[in-house]
Amino acid sequence: MKKIKNTVILVLGLFSFSLAFSQQKAVIRGRVIDKADRMAVIGATVIEYDQDNRVLNGTVCDVNGDFVLQMKDPNHEVKVVMIGYRTKVIPTGGAGTMTIELESSNIELGEVVVTARKKEENSLINIEDRDIASSRVKIDMVEMRDVGVVSASDALQGRVSGLDIIDASGDPGSGSQLVIRGLSSMGNNKPLIVIDGIPQYMTPSDFDLSSADQEDISNLINIALQDIKSIEVLKDAASTAIYGSKGADGVLLIETYKGRLGKVQFDYQYKKTLNFQPRAIPMLNGDEYIMLQLEEWHNKEGIFEIPPEIAYDRDYFNFHNYSANTDWIGAITQNAVTNDHYFNISGGGEKTRYFTSFSYVDEGGTTISTNAKRFSTRVNLDYFLSKKILFSVLFSYTNNKVDGNLSLEKRNIREMAYVKAPNMSIWERDVHGNPTGEYFTPINSYQGSGSVFFNPVAVARLGKDDRVENSLQNSFTLSYNLLNWVKLRETVSFQFGGDKRNNYLPYNAIGADWLSWTINKAEEGNNMYSSVNTETQLAFDSPFDSSNHVLSGALTWITDQSNYEWMNIQGNKTPSTGIQDPAINPQINWIGDGSGSSRGLGILLNLNYKYKDRYMIQTILRSDAHSSFGSNHRWGLFKGLSGAWRFSQESFMKSIPFLGESLLRMSWGVSGRQPTDPYARFATYESTNLGSYIRNYPSIVNRFVQLDNLKWESIETVDVGLEMLLFNDRLSFEGVIYNKTTTNLLFQNYYIPGSSGFDSLKFFNGGELGNRGWEIMMEYRLIQKKDFRLSVNANISHNINSFKQLPANFNREQSTSINNGEYPKRVIQGQPIGSFFGFRYEGVYSTDEDALARDAAGNILYDNEGIPIPMMFQSTYTFKGGDAKYADINHDGKIDLNDVVYIGDSNPDFIGGFGASLKYKSIEFSCGFHYRLGFDIINGVAMETEGMDSRNNQSKAVLRRWRVQGQDEKDMLPRAYLNHPANNLGSDRYVEKGDFMRLLNVMIGYKLKPEICEKLKLRTLGISFSARKLMTFTNYGGQDPEIGQDASDPFWIGVDNAKTPPPRMFTFTMSAGF
Amino acid sequence: MKKGNRKIFAFILVILIQVSCSDWMEQLPPQGLIREEFWKTKEDVEAVVMGAYISFADMDDLLFKFGEIRADMVKGDINQPDDEQKIMEGNIYPDNTLCAWNMFYKVINDCNDVIKFAPKVQGIDNTFSDYLLYGFLSEAYFMRSLCYFYLVRVYKDVPLVLEPTETDASNVYLPKTNGDEVLVQIRQDLENIRNYATIDGYPTFAETRGRATKASIDALLADIALWTFDYEACISHVQNIEASIKYKLMPSAEWFEIYYPGNSFEGIFEIQYDNNLNHNNKTAGLTAQYSYNYDPSDHALELFAKKYAREMVRGEDASIKKYSESDFIIWKYVGMAPDGETERFGSVANSCNWIVYRYADVLLMKAEALSQLGRFSDALAIINEIRNRADVPPLNIADSKTAYEDAIMDERALELAFEGKRWFDLLRMGRRNNYSRKSKLIEIIIRNVPSTQKRILATKLTNPMGWYLPVYELEMERNKNLVQNPFYNF
Repeated sequence: MKKIKNTVILVLGLFSFSLAFSQQKAVIRGRVIDKADRMAVIGATVIEYDQDNRVLNGTVCDVNGDFVLQMKDPNHEVKVVMIGYRTKVIPTGGAGTMTIELESSNIELGEVVVTARKKEENSLINIEDRDIASSRVKIDMVEMRDVGVVSASDALQGRVSGLDIIDASGDPGSGSQLVIRGLSSMGNNKPLIVIDGIPQYMTPSDFDLSSADQEDISNLINIALQDIKSIEVLKDAASTAIYGSKGADGVLLIETYKGRLGKVQFDYQYKKTLNFQPRAIPMLNGDEYIMLQLEEWHNKEGIFEIPPEIAYDRDYFNFHNYSANTDWIGAITQNAVTNDHYFNISGGGEKTRYFTSFSYVDEGGTTISTNAKRFSTRVNLDYFLSKKILFSVLFSYTNNKVDGNLSLEKRNIREMAYVKAPNMSIWERDVHGNPTGEYFTPINSYQGSGSVFFNPVAVARLGKDDRVENSLQNSFTLSYNLLNWVKLRETVSFQFGGDKRNNYLPYNAIGADWLSWTINKAEEGNNMYSSVNTETQLAFDSPFDSSNHVLSGALTWITDQSNYEWMNIQGNKTPSTGIQDPAINPQINWIGDGSGSSRGLGILLNLNYKYKDRYMIQTILRSDAHSSFGSNHRWGLFKGLSGAWRFSQESFMKSIPFLGESLLRMSWGVSGRQPTDPYARFATYESTNLGSYIRNYPSIVNRFVQLDNLKWESIETVDVGLEMLLFNDRLSFEGVIYNKTTTNLLFQNYYIPGSSGFDSLKFFNGGELGNRGWEIMMEYRLIQKKDFRLSVNANISHNINSFKQLPANFNREQSTSINNGEYPKRVIQGQPIGSFFGFRYEGVYSTDEDALARDAAGNILYDNEGIPIPMMFQSTYTFKGGDAKYADINHDGKIDLNDVVYIGDSNPDFIGGFGASLKYKSIEFSCGFHYRLGFDIINGVAMETEGMDSRNNQSKAVLRRWRVQGQDEKDMLPRAYLNHPANNLGSDRYVEKGDFMRLLNVMIGYKLKPEICEKLKLRTLGISFSARKLMTFTNYGGQDPEIGQDASDPFWIGVDNAKTPPPRMFTFTMSAGF
Repeated sequence: MKKGNRKIFAFILVILIQVSCSDWMEQLPPQGLIREEFWKTKEDVEAVVMGAYISFADMDDLLFKFGEIRADMVKGDINQPDDEQKIMEGNIYPDNTLCAWNMFYKVINDCNDVIKFAPKVQGIDNTFSDYLLYGFLSEAYFMRSLCYFYLVRVYKDVPLVLEPTETDASNVYLPKTNGDEVLVQIRQDLENIRNYATIDGYPTFAETRGRATKASIDALLADIALWTFDYEACISHVQNIEASIKYKLMPSAEWFEIYYPGNSFEGIFEIQYDNNLNHNNKTAGLTAQYSYNYDPSDHALELFAKKYAREMVRGEDASIKKYSESDFIIWKYVGMAPDGETERFGSVANSCNWIVYRYADVLLMKAEALSQLGRFSDALAIINEIRNRADVPPLNIADSKTAYEDAIMDERALELAFEGKRWFDLLRMGRRNNYSRKSKLIEIIIRNVPSTQKRILATKLTNPMGWYLPVYELEMERNKNLVQNPFYNF
């Protein structure tokens, strides 16, 4: 608070000090007339202003065109302004009466080509875009306005080299995962998002107990796409070093539209989108499922008593409930509609410019009972107090409502729909087969407990998992030109946000008895955060007169404080399904809350020097302190040094005619990352669960170890790039190679020996993670005529990730379990993060006799009695015909942990996209492709639905299963066998190439000719049709190959777990401007 | 003031305002207890001492398993977890979750914390008298030593951690220390602190049983001395307890009161449970009828079942209970009376204490020590005292150390059945006199083993290292300075 107060005093101080001059007064009178017809001009404004162009006083002419103005200083000039006339400036020279003639401003505008060299506003580094020597890419978002995407991350997909964007889920309101130049740290690879110069609040790790994944990225969802003018991606540490401890994972700079000089303009856009889900994996129907189950039982037990649910027993009282043919996936899938309304007003005069927008999006989900509604508004206001002082206000508010579905027992609706027995019906029927009107949710079904194997339709329809999120942001900037070449800028910004989550699971959605704790379970969680950032900057431009030397730079002082709070309450057994509030009448299961605050300081100095417009050097030095570190490691130093050579300006290059402005650049930099938990460093004690021993003695035990060694994770990048414009600037090319090394990696929950009395350290710095690669971006304007334009663009990036070094005491093997459905987790130095380890799958043993141990040469092994040694699983199970065959790597006749090998990794080798745009007269066409190549996915859905070792429903692929001895077919799957110990081990059987290329966007649009618009009293009118994710080229067998990289720990592996695939969308857009 | 000067003034003002925020960075968590705010009063010290007891109390099931499942008094029922079954059958691998020792070290770390910080608190809290300080320290040393004694008996060599893990700079990667050295250390600690321990200075009777007293330290010292075959020391430690009027054998008719309501005159150190405080034991859950975890073994039935045994006080309906010919359960932790009918229910259902030491136990320790020193008649007197109390006829034992060893072993099995003692008793026997009777131990171990593996395992177990558990796999991976028990290094 102290900080805020200080800032307010400062701002007030600056006001008062600039308004503090007043001298003798004088009165002027006059009449304003039209120069042509000499008629009085009614309503013209007469303004007195000073040398700094600051408005002091003003008046408006009456019906006769007369005015009276009392001047603060007779030496000042007055300005006469009227719409439709040219503004006139008159030196008054003291009191008196005057007649002012105004000239009409009806001038025909010809085609004007403006080549502006804009200097970045609000930038921390005070340099021209074209001189930047570090690695950044700026994407203009104008053309994405009409495409049927809702969020900025969708719009960026496949368009920026080195930026990997993956939809987290196809559910509405869910975010995306953004990774810049490979995974460089663990837990939080999310780039910093900076909107109009304000770094967005990052959620601390213990902020919310439920998945914080979606919230983190919501910064990108929360901003209406149409508000965004451009997005700039900072990729190397030389550029991200200016964000110090927050910039480690890259930075996205988002610039929104500002008001501009001119008449007020209204724009309205409406988009209607139809969302269709891609084809689902075909599953067995009820009859096939029963057949499979009988086979599983038979293979396991020989003769067995058939459970009544699969026995076709017409006398069984549940017969009608277990003889359905339910398509569960179909039952939870729907087609949906998204409506997107967007409206903005912008305009401004010489003093004030404004831009304000409203957006409402109602996004329909392709899974039943999912929906997201977003309302957002934004006001950007610039007020030019005088030539020297600019005051701007940015305000934005977003309200996000997301209706989702509950996940039970770690299975979401879709996962459940895949494995749910298809012979069960959705609706319950009585003994006679008459519908009862209730969902069929038995306490125990053939598959198991009703709360584990729940009815997905019932849970989706009756349960709820709703989230309402509000966020508010307000920032004030005052810039003041101290001298011609020195500018002082003060920015204060406030961010406030909160979200509220409501879960409810009524008894009739699941099968559970009345004592179960899941009965009528209600949960409510509230989060709130607020943060205040200030930036005080002293920026200077070149003090030299010579154009040979250009020096600029800035000294910036940054403070940052944030607070968060959360509260969670869970109750169960509410007396009625009508009561869904955990605080009313239920039995409270638990209540939790937490809060915290963190503070940061940063001092940033940067200097940019340019010699003869050819040689540029830029340096950044930033020192950061953060309250999450102890005083010994509190200050971190981040730095960047970059240089560029604009070789095209050299005289000897002038002779090359096709070469446009081109430069070669190199950069080096170090940026950092702080732990997400501001209090991790403290040794903490806690009350034991019981709180007391014997009587009421309090009992307290150690909980966490104090972290004296906690420090910044640092990321060092070396980057060499070449930017070229060729052939009359028609071909632009940018190529970069880089090497990025993360040292002092922040490991979260780092395991230490149990003999310490603890299980883990909250954070541990150690090890090295490397990423190196190259990127190319190109754009070629093939045809550039007035009525016909055609351009193509492409980008590709290649990245290699590896663990360069692991901490000395690192536990490299985390899960050594090799049971069905599990992959042992390992980390190996030199291999990338996200590597898979498992068995090599070699097909199916055709007969019992084939399942023998063999040596390296393939000869059968015999024991000392001459009997062939059978192949065993962990010396507990002997393989038989029809069982899965795994490679016995060490040829010891046993499949065990020693046969586990590297079987793939989930980092893409190549990512990128390409596209084309065409404009012919009023018709526009564009398309964009996105691809990701060279990565593997563990098909978790196939693992659940092709194993044939459980009572889960299986996919149609299992119709190719082994059935009789000697059967040997191509692509045959192992036999069905209930609870088989080894048929479904973590092997490369489920590791698939994820490579895909998809037609991401295709759009055709038509803009009405200006003449027609004018007749309709419109400024512009356009319509367009677009389609998204229309076609996907992939060999991946799952529903969708877009599997994100969410490396929350070093053992993370990319598993496809039946998230809702991103829908195929068809959009109609209509936009009109007034 | 000139215009230019004003500008400079304003500028300097801005800079000053920004810099003047000192101490701004120090942020303490609003919730939770951090070390900076802790260790200020004697109550803080007491709370951590209590925390150590609570953490120890979390292990009653573990102590039951360590003390019983490799021995011959219990058998697993259908709900016995896989890992425990494997241990029972001698299929022990380092990945067995029962091999994890972290719960012991959690207690040790809290004790180390008390030992380090309690003296410092005395400098802050003026009401913290020497009497209280050393009382708390004696409790901390006792609990730490008790943990180490269990660890040495289960794993033999273990890391000896005597300092709390305060920060991430502490050395947590300690190698193993030889078990004998660990025992030397804890004996010394206990002897040093013994004089400061209270005899009955606690406000409630339950605390004189549930917290460390002089007698509990004596009992532990006696147990350690017996384990290291220092018989004279063992006898003198037990004599210290005998000298106290606070402890005596319960009369026959009240034998079951040792378990219900517990905290009898016979108890020396009992970990306390109380349903009313939501502090439940786990032994009831392990042994209750429908838990199907652990049942009395055939050998235990021979000892106790009415069909075979003459045990009236300790036998059927007291130590065990019969539901049907094939369905017996352990009654000590679930019964409320020695009638085989009245079950613990409601607020006492899970309240049976875990008895670490009781008077009969230390008396039998003394008998064992006496007999090993050849003082047979003294030993016999103790054995018959216990038998007399149990209402079974006195014994006549040949004057041989082996005969006495066997008789005391059997008596302990009867008296201390299912109290987590049997395996350690057998181990002591197997180690005695340079492993001269190890075949008897091996014979007992392999009773639980499937017939196909009996022969192989019997041969393997001639290596005494196989009697100890391996270091848990995860612990080996996390601490590269550990050396696995060579028996498990395949």
